Amino acid sequence: MTDELKLIAAAKAGSADAFADLVRGYRERLLRFLLTRSPSYADAEDVLQDTLIAAFRYLHSYDSRWRFSTWLYRIAIRNAAKLRGPDLADVAIVGDLRDEESDPLQQCIADSETDNLWLSARELLNDEVFAAMWLRYAEDMSVNDIAKALDRSTSWAKVNLMRGRRVLETHMNGAAEKSEAYG
Amino acid sequence: MDKLAKQLRADADRIDVAVSAELDRRIDASLRAVTPEAEVQRPPPIARPPLFWWASTLTGIAAAIAVIAIVNLRAPEQPVAPELDLVATVPPIELKAETAMLTAPLQEELERLQSDLKKAEEKVKRDIGL
Repeated sequence: MTDELKLIAAAKAGSADAFADLVRGYRERLLRFLLTRSPSYADAEDVLQDTLIAAFRYLHSYDSRWRFSTWLYRIAIRNAAKLRGPDLADVAIVGDLRDEESDPLQQCIADSETDNLWLSARELLNDEVFAAMWLRYAEDMSVNDIAKALDRSTSWAKVNLMRGRRVLETHMNGAAEKSEAYG
Repeated sequence: MDKLAKQLRADADRIDVAVSAELDRRIDASLRAVTPEAEVQRPPPIARPPLFWWASTLTGIAAAIAVIAIVNLRAPEQPVAPELDLVATVPPIELKAETAMLTAPLQEELERLQSDLKKAEEKVKRDIGL
């Protein structure tokens, strides 16, 4: 039995300490992901907290055939979607809720000298394709796990990862040509 | 790893986040306040003794034999005398209605329509000066 499985068993038995240990390594990764989908840093923190609480509460429903991280991301994605709320059901993307100054993702990469490709990805891709790309390239998740996390088919995940890649490659090449042209 | 994948990985690492001490405390406190829901306990499957299986099988076979016996051993049905056909006994009624009576209104209507058509045709001819 791996350490993770032992912690899951202890957490299922009701140990909050075991659960805290279990998710310690995932908290920052989840927060980074949630920042890309939230209108503000505080919202991302709230969603992280809700995600961990929901995961602990419903840990009995966790199926050990899944990777624990995949299950956590699935809860996080659902909770982040709730940010839009019923009043904002017609808002296409969370991007419509944030302005450039309060954008938490931009704030967290403000010190960087070069453009961050994830900022462009968020502009160019829809929410789900962005999430698929994130899980693949920032989290090294397999296509099957991505499909599970997004509650989609494996073929959907494959096709949209390919589309996302094509869009970002075109963007990257365009940006490189532009910078060459300006010398 | 290709260029795009490397760039995406590096850019993800450049997103600077940290779980603050305050958030850590909040999460810790809320986890302690949560009681994990217990797994729904399904009742264990009831183990039926082999005798039960034999009893149900034998009951089924006995029921099938009984049905076959009832169907085959039933006394043949007595031929039933045909009922008197009352309609056949009534003498045919001679209908006196004339077929021309039935088609006459339609014929009149057709004639009226033809007359109207003719009048309309003449009116059009007059109007256009023919």
